[in-house]
Amino acid sequence: MEMKSLIEKIFSEGKKKGLTDMEVYYSAGNSLSLKVFQKELDGYSLSESEGLSLRGVYKGKMGYSYTEKVDETSIEQLVNNVVENATIIDSDDEEVIFEGSKEYKKVDSFNTELSNVKEEDKIKFVKSLEEEAYKIDKRISSVKTCVYGDGYGEVIMSNTKGLYLHDKSNIAYTYIVVDAKEGNDIKTGMAYRTGNDFYKFNVKEIAKEAVEEAIGLLGAKSVKSGNYPVILRNSAAADLLEAFTGIFSAEAVQKNLSLLKGKLNEKIASERFTLIDDPYMEGGLASRSFDGEGVACKYKKVIDKGVLKTYLHNLKTARKDGVETTGNASKGSYKSSISIAPSNFYVEKGEKTLEEIIKSSDKAIMITELQGLHSGLNSVSGDFSLAALGYLIEEGKIVRPVEQIIVSGNYFEMIKNIEEVGSDLKFGLPGEAYIGSPSLKVKSLAIAGE
Amino acid sequence: MVKYLYYDKRSENVLNKQLIEDILTAALSTGGDFAEIFVEDRTNNGIVMIGGKVESTVSGRDYGVGIRIFKGFNSVYAYTNKSDRETLIETAKKAAAAIEGISGDITINLIKSDVKKINTIQIDPSTVEKTKKVQLMRKVYDIAFNYDELITQVTVNYTDYIQNIMVANSEGLWKEDTRVRSRLGISSVASKNGEMQSGYFGPGASKGYEFFENLDIDHYAKEASRIAVTMINAKYSPSGKMPVIIDNGFGGVIFHEACGHGLEATSVAKGLSVFAGKIGEQIASPLVTAIDDGSIPGEWGSYSIDDEGTPSRKNVLIEKGILKGYMVDKLNGRRMNMDVTGSSRRQSYRFAPTSRMSNTYIDAGESTPEEIIANTEKGLYAKYMGGGSVNPSTGEFNFAVMEGYLVENGKIKEPVRGATLIGKGTEVLNKIDMVGNNLQLSQGMCGSVSGSIPANVGQPMIRVSEITVGGREGEV
Repeated sequence: MEMKSLIEKIFSEGKKKGLTDMEVYYSAGNSLSLKVFQKELDGYSLSESEGLSLRGVYKGKMGYSYTEKVDETSIEQLVNNVVENATIIDSDDEEVIFEGSKEYKKVDSFNTELSNVKEEDKIKFVKSLEEEAYKIDKRISSVKTCVYGDGYGEVIMSNTKGLYLHDKSNIAYTYIVVDAKEGNDIKTGMAYRTGNDFYKFNVKEIAKEAVEEAIGLLGAKSVKSGNYPVILRNSAAADLLEAFTGIFSAEAVQKNLSLLKGKLNEKIASERFTLIDDPYMEGGLASRSFDGEGVACKYKKVIDKGVLKTYLHNLKTARKDGVETTGNASKGSYKSSISIAPSNFYVEKGEKTLEEIIKSSDKAIMITELQGLHSGLNSVSGDFSLAALGYLIEEGKIVRPVEQIIVSGNYFEMIKNIEEVGSDLKFGLPGEAYIGSPSLKVKSLAIAGE
Repeated sequence: MVKYLYYDKRSENVLNKQLIEDILTAALSTGGDFAEIFVEDRTNNGIVMIGGKVESTVSGRDYGVGIRIFKGFNSVYAYTNKSDRETLIETAKKAAAAIEGISGDITINLIKSDVKKINTIQIDPSTVEKTKKVQLMRKVYDIAFNYDELITQVTVNYTDYIQNIMVANSEGLWKEDTRVRSRLGISSVASKNGEMQSGYFGPGASKGYEFFENLDIDHYAKEASRIAVTMINAKYSPSGKMPVIIDNGFGGVIFHEACGHGLEATSVAKGLSVFAGKIGEQIASPLVTAIDDGSIPGEWGSYSIDDEGTPSRKNVLIEKGILKGYMVDKLNGRRMNMDVTGSSRRQSYRFAPTSRMSNTYIDAGESTPEEIIANTEKGLYAKYMGGGSVNPSTGEFNFAVMEGYLVENGKIKEPVRGATLIGKGTEVLNKIDMVGNNLQLSQGMCGSVSGSIPANVGQPMIRVSEITVGGREGEV
C-alpha cells in the first residue's frame, strides 16, 4: 500500500535526523453539501482532502508538524520542523508515543448504505424540505438556509512502537433555518438532524420543528428583571454544557485553569446530575474505539449523582496525576497537537417529561436558545451572562414567548441547584465532541429584561 | 530600506497558464458562465506558552486548490489538496456536472497582472529562529505574571503565517499575492478566594517579525493582567436599561456585530438583512459615519487583493447616519445588480469566498472622552469589550463586557464584572448620542459562512443613550 511505504520513508528520514520514537497521523475524507434557495440548488460543494502529521521525540521532547501536501516532497520539511519544534519545548510534562492497548472494542460508525444514496435523491430531499417549510404556515417569510450534506472520513495512526490503527466513519446532516414574519416582527427558527442513515431524515418532522420554533416566538417581549426559576430546554442545556466542557479536562486542572481542582470525590452538583462520557454509545457521532494517542477508549461517569468521579485524561496528564488515562486524548485534526476532549458526553436523563416539568412550575422562564456562547461566558470563573430566547411560564402553563433578556449565573453554582432533570435527552451538532442533555430545571438564575 | 523577503518554494506547485486555462475550460463544459480557480500554499507557525513553559508548538503547511463555477445566481464549489493535472481537471469536471446545460464557445485568455502591495513586510517570520520567538514570549510572560500577586496563570500564544495565493478566472484575471500576518495573544488569570477572572489582549498586524520587535510588549502584557486583577476585585454588574459608554478600539465590536454583518451582501442579496433595500435612508444617528477599509497599510484586516482578485479599497458604509453602501462579492453582486467592493474573503481554499468585513470602524467624532464621561449621570462604562454575535434577520445582537465600571454623576466609579449588552442593531445605531475623537482599531477573528478570518474592529469612544445590560445583581 502506498501510504505504508510513505510512512516508512518518513520514519527512516526521522531516524536519520535523530528522532527516537515517531508517529504518523493521516486523515482523508470527502464531503458533499447541497444548499437550496427558492426552489433552486444555489449552492453545491464537494471536496476531497487529506493531511498528514508527524510527531516525534527529539532529545526527550515531543515536536509536531503537518502537511497537506501528502507526498515525498514534504518529508524533509516535516522532519526538520519536528526537530525544530521539539527543541524549543520546555514543559516538564513528558509526552510519549504509545505502544498500543491490549484490546480495542469494535465501533461501527460506517454505514455502507449512505455511500449508495443517489445524488438526485439528496437534491430531491433538500428541495422538498424547503417546500414543506413554506407550506406549513403562511407567516414563514423566508427559508434562509436549507442544507443537506454528507461526508466520509478515515484515519490511520502508525508509530515506530508497532501501533497501526485504522478507522473510518461517515455522517449525513441536514439543517433548515426559517424566518417567520408578522407585521414588523421577525423570528428565526432552526432544526437539524445528524446521523449516518439518510432514510431516517423526515422532511415533515424537520420542517415542522423549525417552523414551530419561529412561529412560537412571534410576539415575544422582554420580561421584568429579577431572579426566576429557569427551565433550560434540552438543546440550550446541551449548548451550555458544551461551552463548559473544558473544566473537566485534567490539563485545565493541572494548569490551574479549572475550579474543579481538588474536588475529586466531592459533591459538586445536585444528586440528580450524572454526567457520562460514553465512546461506545449507540448512534453516537463521536463514537470511537481509540483516542488521539491510540489508547482504547472507555465508558466513564464523570459526575455520578452529583459527585465528581474523574477528570478527563490523556497519557501525559494521567502520568502526572498517577492514574490511568481515561482515553480522552483528542486530536481535532492532523493540524492539532494532542489535547483532551470528551467523546459522546451527556447528562443522564431523568424521568419527568418536559411537559410535566412545565406543569409543576408555578412561575418560571423556559429558555430555548442561548446566544453569544463564545463570548458571554468565562469558563475559568464559571460566570455566564447570555442573551436568550424562550417562554414565560405561569401556573404550569406557557403564557407567552420572551426575547431581549439576558440570563446570568455561574455554572458551578447552577449545577448544584438543579431541581429537575427531564427525560428528553437531546444532542447538539457534533463538533470535537458530541454533547447532549435533557431539559434541566434550575432553582434560580438572574434574568435581565425590562 | 524596505525589502521584500518572500521566499518562494512554490515553484513546483504553481500551475502553469495552460493548465489553469484547461481547468477553467473543463469547469465551464456544462454551461457555467463563470469559473474561478484559487490556489493556496500557506505556512503556519504556532507556539503556546503556559506558565512560562513552551507547552506545544505546531508548524505546518496548508495546500489546496478551490474551483468555483457560477451559472446565473447558482454556484458550485469544489476543493482538493492535490495539484496534479489529472486530479484538477477531474475535480473541475465533477463540479461542472452539478450544472445542467450545454457549453458555449469558450476561449479563455489569461493575462497575468501585477498586484499593488498594500502591506510591506520587512522581516520574513520564517527566517527568524524559533528560540528568538520563544524569548519574546518569555518576556511577555514575565511582565504579565509579575504584574500582581493575584495573577496565578498566564498563557501566551504566538502565531505567524505566510499565505501565498493565486487566483485566476474565466474573464482572464490572473493574479498572485503573498499575505503575511503576525499576532500575539496574552491571557492572564487572577485568583482570589476560590474565584478566577481573566483578562486578554491580542495585538496583531499584516506585518512580518518587525511587528513583534516594535510592539509595546510592556503595555499589552500589563493590560491583560490589569484587566484580570481589576475584575477579580469587582462586584457583579447591575442589570436593566441604562446609558452605556463604550470605549475606543475593541468597543467597535458593537458596530461589527450590530450592523456590519447586516451590510454584507451575504445577507443583503437574499433580502435577509434588516438593512436590505435601505440605501439612501437614515439608519443611524447623524453622528455616525462608518467605514470598511481593507487598504490600510499593515493593518490586521488588510489585504492587497481580495480572494476573487479585486483590489481592496475604502468603502463608506454609512455617512452621517445615511446608508451609503454594502460590502459586495461577485456572486451576490449578480443578485443585487451591484459592483464588487473588494470584500470577498475566505478562511482558506476549503471555503468559497463571500462578502466579509476587513477593517471596519465608526469614524472619529468631535467629543473628547472626558466630555462624554462628564456628561453621563448614571450608567455603565465598558472599557474593554469581549466578543459577541448577531442574527442578521432580526438585527438582535449580544456582546460581553470584559472590563466594565459604573458611572455616577459624570465620574467613573467602581469596576463591575459579568455584564452583557443586548439589543437590536437598528435601535442602537439611532441611540448613539455622543461620538469621541479618539478613533482606534483593534484586532479580532471574525467567524461566518466563509470561515474564520482576521478582521479589525474600531471606533472612538461612543455613548449609547440606552442599552439593556444583563448582570447578576438587581437593577441599578
